[in-house]
Amino acid sequence: MPATTQAPTPTMYKYDAFDHAFVRDRNKEFAGQVARRLAGEITEDQFKPLRLMNGLYLQLHAYMLRIAVPYGVLSSKQMRKFAHIARTYDRDFGHFTTRQNLQFNWIKLADAPKILEELAEVEMHALQTSGNCIRNTTTDQFAGAARDEVADPRPWAEVIRQWSSNHPEFTFLPRKFKIAITGATKDRAAIRVHDIGLHLKPSGFDVYVGGGMGRTPHVAPVIKRDLNPEQLLSYLEACLRVYNRYGRRDNIYKARIKILVSALGAEEYGRQVEEEWSRLDKAKVDAPAAEVNRIKSFFPDPAFVDGFDSAAFERARTADAGFARWVKNNTNPHKRDNHVSVTISLKPTGLPPGDASSAQMDVMADVADAYGYGELRVSHEQNIILPHVAKNDLYTLYEKLDAAGLGTANAGKITDMIACPGLDYCSLANARSIPLAQDISQRFEDAKLTDQIGDLQIKISGCINACGHHHVGHIGILGVDKQGIEFYQILLGGRADEKAALGQITGKGLSAEAVPAAIERVVRLYLDLRTSETERFIDTLERVGRDAFAEALHEHA
Amino acid sequence: MKLLTANRLTDGLTLWYSGSGWVEDAAEATKLSDDDADALLIEWKLRETEVVAPYLIPLTDTGNPVQREHVREFVRANGPTIGQTTDAVAKEHGRTAIFEE
Repeated sequence: MPATTQAPTPTMYKYDAFDHAFVRDRNKEFAGQVARRLAGEITEDQFKPLRLMNGLYLQLHAYMLRIAVPYGVLSSKQMRKFAHIARTYDRDFGHFTTRQNLQFNWIKLADAPKILEELAEVEMHALQTSGNCIRNTTTDQFAGAARDEVADPRPWAEVIRQWSSNHPEFTFLPRKFKIAITGATKDRAAIRVHDIGLHLKPSGFDVYVGGGMGRTPHVAPVIKRDLNPEQLLSYLEACLRVYNRYGRRDNIYKARIKILVSALGAEEYGRQVEEEWSRLDKAKVDAPAAEVNRIKSFFPDPAFVDGFDSAAFERARTADAGFARWVKNNTNPHKRDNHVSVTISLKPTGLPPGDASSAQMDVMADVADAYGYGELRVSHEQNIILPHVAKNDLYTLYEKLDAAGLGTANAGKITDMIACPGLDYCSLANARSIPLAQDISQRFEDAKLTDQIGDLQIKISGCINACGHHHVGHIGILGVDKQGIEFYQILLGGRADEKAALGQITGKGLSAEAVPAAIERVVRLYLDLRTSETERFIDTLERVGRDAFAEALHEHA
Repeated sequence: MKLLTANRLTDGLTLWYSGSGWVEDAAEATKLSDDDADALLIEWKLRETEVVAPYLIPLTDTGNPVQREHVREFVRANGPTIGQTTDAVAKEHGRTAIFEE
């Protein structure tokens, strides 16, 4: 099948003079702070909040730099810059996160200002990737491409990015604050487990507030329906203002907005928001229509190529079973019949979920230019997406990805696990996540079995902070520390989609060695119990209840 | 007995106190008496242009970190256990893993 010639012109927001100057000034300021810290002119206590404001953490083994990927949208040029940073300043790999960001695990403090300068060259930064501020707004990884999309959430995510960047009132909130938006019928952005979740529909935004995971998980209730998009920012400002005023600052474990909404009740919180909103001078806060239209103008469709040689496509599928399986599992329906969205799995068997080497980043940038209009996305499931790929290019694309170790055909399947860095890197973790994910992926490496099982989401966190989203895994795994020994609690029945639900801890904690076999027993029971091949694990679980699976979890092998 | 560990300010890498200074290889860490360890910790907490976040790791009689610290300190001493660096760290220093897993 001949490759389609395309101009690599990603449709995404581009910095204006203000953005460039803002990032440059912040980088210059941070370079001065680093120099003063290295010279001993400021103490670590003084420096720590400053470096965190610039995304620089000190982890178990080294500094970690978390780079913001606004709503997960990346150009090929930006991906190449990541590859360059991985090669030049880190240990040749990076880790894509559930916040649709990228983390480098082995950064030198002295190199941080130079890295930020390099990122600014490609319109990127690490601001607000830490601290009690509004973090990177996340969205549907198939935004602007998905067939089931009603409205494109990206312009609104950009409006929120601009409003929330360096917002003077919301830079020191009681706790960090995360917003997610979807504009599709299927929720792929997990909006109901965010501080604020926005569902964009033709009639406006449905606004969910007070969701979250961590120590006290909540599924967010809706507090407003059909919000006029033109009034989005003033309404968000009212939501944040009530939280900023009444959110608890005396107890870090009770400081997230979910605790406030839960304590007040959704109705009372919503009433207070309405009252605050009525007092706001909305014209001063809401983005003018001209500005919204300017931002929308950055997100046109790419210049889609026409045509589809279905006979050649079918020949390739028939000739190459690996390709056929990859097409089935790793492509998502596109609004154009002759295109699809492609998920590049970062979950090969036995390797850390979400990691990519510099060479793989370069390959992803190259294929984005050749076959994806120069655009990539980071999904909150820690994969990379090519949102627009002509079907005529799929086989060539697959061959190139597969040759680079990027052709794993497991998107949405049992081995497509979310896993936080866990105790292998994170100084907050209680237990390791990645080795467990590796063990599970090896146990289910049989492609036939994986396909037989179908859609099943396993999510692993190395501590109660839930960076690995264990509360909303169909099977969630939470690492705990019992007197220096790692144990894992299993949660069943969580889901992050439009029917969001929290998994419940089922049975006693298991050792790391026992977890993969326990999961296999649960999965084999599901295969026995399901009424048809189309009944997914989560459907069977909801039909028969968790108790049936609890026994399998603890049955001796 | 205790070990003294910290991160180097400039690159954040994990360091271990060897008796005469800081080394990157945990195998060369000196087991300190409790009194010496406490005094050194106070001293190095003040030397902020060299190291960050120094702390002590209590050891059992066998030389392993006490149980409640064990997994974290094993990973800190040996590097990530995910096949990317643990072996590389051991190989770099010409030894096997430190502490019993």
